[in-house]
Amino acid sequence: MMRLSQAALVALLTLSLTASAQDDLMDFFDAPTGPEVVTSTFKAGRIINVQSPQTSGRGEVNFIIAHRFGRISDGAYALWGLDNAQMRMGLDFGVTDQLQVGIARSSFGKTLEANAKWRFLEQKKGGGSPISLTGYSVWMRDGLRFPEDGIERRGVHRLSYVHQIVIARKFSPEFSLAVIPSLVHRNLVDQPARPNDAATVGFGFRYKLNQRLSVNGEYHVLLPRPIQDGLHNSLSLGLDIETGGHVFQLHITNSRGMFERSFLTETYDRWQDGELYFGFNINRVFQVGKR
Amino acid sequence: MRLFLLLALLFFGTSLQAQRFATREAHIAFLSETPIEDIRAESREASAIFDAETGQLAFQVPILSFHFPKALMEEHFNENYMETERYPKATFRGQVMDLDLSADGPQAVRATGTLEMHGVAVERDITGSMENTGSGWRIEAAFDVPCADHDIAIPKVVSENIAEVIGVTLNANLVAQ
Repeated sequence: MMRLSQAALVALLTLSLTASAQDDLMDFFDAPTGPEVVTSTFKAGRIINVQSPQTSGRGEVNFIIAHRFGRISDGAYALWGLDNAQMRMGLDFGVTDQLQVGIARSSFGKTLEANAKWRFLEQKKGGGSPISLTGYSVWMRDGLRFPEDGIERRGVHRLSYVHQIVIARKFSPEFSLAVIPSLVHRNLVDQPARPNDAATVGFGFRYKLNQRLSVNGEYHVLLPRPIQDGLHNSLSLGLDIETGGHVFQLHITNSRGMFERSFLTETYDRWQDGELYFGFNINRVFQVGKR
Repeated sequence: MRLFLLLALLFFGTSLQAQRFATREAHIAFLSETPIEDIRAESREASAIFDAETGQLAFQVPILSFHFPKALMEEHFNENYMETERYPKATFRGQVMDLDLSADGPQAVRATGTLEMHGVAVERDITGSMENTGSGWRIEAAFDVPCADHDIAIPKVVSENIAEVIGVTLNANLVAQ
């Protein structure tokens, strides 16, 4: 009797072992893997005007040619602004996958830029940070000839700086959001009443329509309130079109300048008055160094 | 008697285990060949498991583990073609046919099963070779994956740069578990 039950036990155990052997073949794959970095929160290095969390990959050079035309409200005489183009040419180089350095030159104010961008915290899926944090600092040098108005100016008066943090989260493969607080400092202001320092809080989004097309937007609130007469918050809406090695960004904005100090704190036009500028950015990526 | 049974069970248990061979460092590479450009990528983080008793074989590779010579290619691969966030893994699970467990040297085998990637499962017969290395099994295979089979759309703009059929090669050294 005893033997029979023991034999039955063995048979049962053996059976269950063999059965589980067939089922759990795939269990081998379920070993926990670490959290994965979330990529492509935005498509290009800029949402429209402002920085996105994207940086050039290691050894990559991103060549950006941006055009901003004149006011659409100038009408047919100026071909709705197309007669008055200004441009910005920039080179961004990826030192690592998280650190990028760049230079740029805008025809607007003959402004030269040097900048650095560092994504120091990655958004991760399956544990880890729910957001990414990216720091951006830009040095700007106004290149216009000093006016002959008897006021003594020195080279240092040409300089201004912007520091910002891009707090971003990709909520789904389609939708990403960013909050971007910025500090702006100018060594010289154009009016005595203007402060040398200003701050803004910006909001940006990306919504993917399909694999190559996305709608982008950004809005920057000037601080402290109330802001100076004649100045306005910057609002831009755009479309990203991706074709292999290029990203085309088309947009409409009430900001004329394409570098941070200008669009954050020197926006004199208003959407309500139709004072809008059409513009585009072309991003072309080259792999020049080793990955 | 009890002790004997326990020992027998343990023995049986381990002998069962020994029928299992696996690796987490299998190598999978693919090549998209067009007259304009050849695009290669490889992963060394694929997992494979083979049960010699049942003949079951399974492979799995995290799509994010494929690396390209250009960062942008990798981004496009994950973002535009494989939709990696939605479909993070590619798997094959099937049954190995015509394998002689005791034979020496590489032998041509066929695995019948399901290849799933980009969320689309396709029944496949994949031929390759398996070799008993004494301590495990070496598996090699080369097969084609038509993008359309897995609903991977290639837009017209890049249709001259990306092949419609991707050649995949696979190398794995499975060791006893």
